Amino acid sequence: MAHLGECSAGSTAVPPQQKPRRRGRSSAQAEKDEERSPGRVPRVPSGGVAEEAPSTSRGPGGSQEALGSASQAAPSAGPRTQKPLELKAAEPVQFLLVKDRKKIPVRRTDVMKHVVGDYKDLFADLLRLAAQRLQYVFGYQLVELEPESNPYILMDALEPVEEDAEVRGDQGTPTTGLLRMALGLIFMKGNTIKETEVWDFLRRLGVYPTKKHLIWGDPKKLITEDFVRQRYLESRRTPHTDPVDYEFQWGPRTNLETSKRKVLKFVAKVHNQDPEACEALSDEEKRARPAPEPSGRAPSS
Amino acid sequence: MPNSLICCTPFLQKFPSYMQSSARRMGIMTDVHRRFLQLLMTHGVLEERDVKRLQKHCYEVHDRNATVEKLEDFINNINSVLESLYIEIKKGVTEDDGRPFYALVNLATTSVSKMATDFAENELDLFRKALELIIDSETGFASSTNILNLVDQLKGKKMRKKEAEQVLQKFVQNKWLIEKEGEFTLHGRAILEMEQYIWETYPDATKMCNICHRLLIQGQSCETCGIRMHLPCVAKYFQSNPEPHCPHCNDYWPHEIPEVFDPEKEREAGISKLNKKSLRSRQH
Repeated sequence: MAHLGECSAGSTAVPPQQKPRRRGRSSAQAEKDEERSPGRVPRVPSGGVAEEAPSTSRGPGGSQEALGSASQAAPSAGPRTQKPLELKAAEPVQFLLVKDRKKIPVRRTDVMKHVVGDYKDLFADLLRLAAQRLQYVFGYQLVELEPESNPYILMDALEPVEEDAEVRGDQGTPTTGLLRMALGLIFMKGNTIKETEVWDFLRRLGVYPTKKHLIWGDPKKLITEDFVRQRYLESRRTPHTDPVDYEFQWGPRTNLETSKRKVLKFVAKVHNQDPEACEALSDEEKRARPAPEPSGRAPSS
Repeated sequence: MPNSLICCTPFLQKFPSYMQSSARRMGIMTDVHRRFLQLLMTHGVLEERDVKRLQKHCYEVHDRNATVEKLEDFINNINSVLESLYIEIKKGVTEDDGRPFYALVNLATTSVSKMATDFAENELDLFRKALELIIDSETGFASSTNILNLVDQLKGKKMRKKEAEQVLQKFVQNKWLIEKEGEFTLHGRAILEMEQYIWETYPDATKMCNICHRLLIQGQSCETCGIRMHLPCVAKYFQSNPEPHCPHCNDYWPHEIPEVFDPEKEREAGISKLNKKSLRSRQH
């Protein structure tokens, strides 16, 4: 949002290099970099974008190597910074990381507007580089959801591990429980559920669409708006209904991030049942598996 | 499955050429480092003791048999990779008791805009007002009352004092401010992130430590010549010195000399102290 826009718009001047002496390790590295770079990399790129240069006295260590490839990718027209492409890719990386924290998919137009700026014709390259960095450095995959509006999400390429919960700083999201229940419910009702059915179920747990919930605040907003915007759920208006009714399904993010088995495991834990005993899952699996049995037994519904 | 997927190229193949040629200088990321980075990002700032725990956890998940690398080297390795993204894991020390911590810092921004994604315009302005009061103050603390009195001057949507009190608490929870007895000062993480910005924006009011030459918010000062020192810097400088004197004017140093932070002592102290600490870190 605003903060990276501010950054690239460059209202901040390059701060004085002398103070504060960098605490700790990297001063040795800094000196080495400084020896290597004289005369090769324009420390303050022309085009009035001094502000974009990092404030670290070290300077971009990789920029010399990048300079070679940058001259090949050098822009042909328009006011451009001499900033190498690889460095420019840092901005979409930061932008996507920040946006992903809220789990709201990022539109391609947003990335273009806030980050890419003059590099519009190199958008595909920039995004490709950004995706590489996200994967290599953070273990996140950049995934494009529906093709029409091109929203991007970051998917964790690392397997989540239960013990992570002990060392996390943010307790995941407190709304996870509600989401998982909704997902489990949808699955057990045959992958689609009416909104009225959702509330019938949740009421039994003391969760109401109209009442403020202690942990989840506004459950109706969460289910009908937030989870849908985050693409965990998909909602469709049921045609020809009065009053208006909605149907919910698993959203594209859920399909990517989780499996029916995982959701069922969670729901079973809540109800203290063995997931293997759950008919719905075994049916689904039978349908998905190529039928090896020659007995020709039809899958039970 | 969704209709189209842009999956980035599997990282084992197709490094851009610059990454290959500088591989010797730049570090190598493995899943241990990635998980570490992901989890560190959930904290934003973390005490060194917990960072070590986190590192150990990541080794246990991905590489049980490997020797856990020395934390400093481990972090240097990650930083060399983060460099081209203008991010850094910076090490700092709390101003009050010299406790080391690590924070993920965005190098490309030097203003308060790092907070811009989490706070509204009027909230950011409240922070700026608090920041100014803190920097101008003699003690490094600004009283809640004085901050709240500036509520009418805030940019953006009008904010009531009651709301402002909650916003201040949000700053404390997110580790931008510390509260002590109704007064607010900067969290070590804010100092680390905004040091440059503060120097530039308030060049006259900003104080500096005579020992480490870094930004000083809380500290001790010489009553004769006025030089200031961080508490942990005082602790180190006067360690086992029975008669401390001002390094600048040589006058007797009148303040109590704090203890140098010792992580070993903390661990040995046992459960009861751990409980006290966790209370303190909640304040932090």
